[in-house]
Amino acid sequence: METNAYLERRFTKDPSMVFRKVAEEFILVPVRQKASEFESIYTMNDVASRIWELIDGKKNLKDIKEIIIREFEVSPEEAEKDLIDFSKQLEKIGAVRTV
Amino acid sequence: MECPHVPVVNYGEFSKRFHDNVLLQRIPIDGSIEVTARCNLRCVHCYINLPLNDRAARERELTYKEFRNIIDEIVDEGCLWLLFTGGEPFIRPDFFDIYTYAKKKGLLITLFTNGTLITEHIANHLAEWRPFNLEITLYGSTQETYEKITGIRGSYNRCMKGIELLLERKIPLKLKSVIMTLNKHEIWDMKKYAEELEIGFRFDPVLNLRVDGNQRPAEFRISPDEVIALDLADDMRMKEWQDFCNNFRSPSQNPEYLYQCGAGKGTFHIDPYGKLSACMIAREPSFDLGKGSFRRGWKEFIPGVLLQKWSSETHCKACELISLCGQCPGFAQLEYGDQEIQIEYLCQIAHMRAEAFGLLNTAKKGE
Repeated sequence: METNAYLERRFTKDPSMVFRKVAEEFILVPVRQKASEFESIYTMNDVASRIWELIDGKKNLKDIKEIIIREFEVSPEEAEKDLIDFSKQLEKIGAVRTV
Repeated sequence: MECPHVPVVNYGEFSKRFHDNVLLQRIPIDGSIEVTARCNLRCVHCYINLPLNDRAARERELTYKEFRNIIDEIVDEGCLWLLFTGGEPFIRPDFFDIYTYAKKKGLLITLFTNGTLITEHIANHLAEWRPFNLEITLYGSTQETYEKITGIRGSYNRCMKGIELLLERKIPLKLKSVIMTLNKHEIWDMKKYAEELEIGFRFDPVLNLRVDGNQRPAEFRISPDEVIALDLADDMRMKEWQDFCNNFRSPSQNPEYLYQCGAGKGTFHIDPYGKLSACMIAREPSFDLGKGSFRRGWKEFIPGVLLQKWSSETHCKACELISLCGQCPGFAQLEYGDQEIQIEYLCQIAHMRAEAFGLLNTAKKGE
């Protein structure tokens, strides 16, 4: 039930992060310091970078999950777990906000 | 400025893997931009500084808008690490416009400054728009030595204040020094000061001459013996050189080429007037970004620079220690106005270093 509620959430990207693709690497670069301390840049794999692209403030995580299942060879359970883990990480570093 | 060919990994495993990919694809990942050659200090040894009020220099400098266009172009080509340096960047009233624009584009910025112009306002802005790395050069551990070099009274205290303001805000700060006859006796006190602040410290014991052809910095060079003594007295330098020598590969795989380093392969430099070159020392030949795009300069011009071959038979071309030596076309150009002439000072350092770190059996001087 809790998972279902989480999957209903929609996120928008925080402008304090910039996404870049350089030399086959997907990177999130923090550009503006926020209350939370972070001094790292974040690298993402193909699935994570696709999730990042799909976060637009309109699609909820359930919508994004369906797209990921269609585009990658991944089971619904696996896609759901990865999506939730990744979204929580993004929230934690301040890269996304709940709409 | 020594270009010691010691492999430096700035950002752990990611950086290494990333750099490997970058070299394969020849992406301009790592660049430097001098926003001005002017400086509020008048350091005796500096290779570039022009007076603060040098009107002709100021009028030639690119504007914020021109730098913004260049930043757009370098980002489009894949630049990730960017160094802003000078001169002193903070003498430009619009420096934060340039800096913040580059931050917003997702560049990881290193900033070189003398620290003397850091105010609360500047420190606050840097705390909000954090640089990836910020380095301040110390010229001495005492006011007397520091200001003998900088030529400006009060500069020592202003630098100390700048360091304090940055540390209060947890800006990722490192200190460094350039060692010369005037401050060599204070090097360990500078290092101790950095250790007490719990921040990094490094030093460069080799001065290069000025980019305008003036040879004055040579007056302040320490001797090759003293350079090697510093290698051996500093734990970090000793380890770096020892690691380098333990993995030494000789001779070069492509000895016919003048450029034996990584310049222009993933790195570039842009001067205050929009001249693109392979590195900060080797400034000529250069490509005028006012007349062509960065992409063109990077894809068409720089490769031509790197393909230059030795036109004469010099000791350096055949020297087995070339990859240990600071000899490079840029340094030689500054020293003698000729890219290929052997720099005796660097040659002595290389051979002494080889002896100190157990490589001498593999190479004899001048062979």
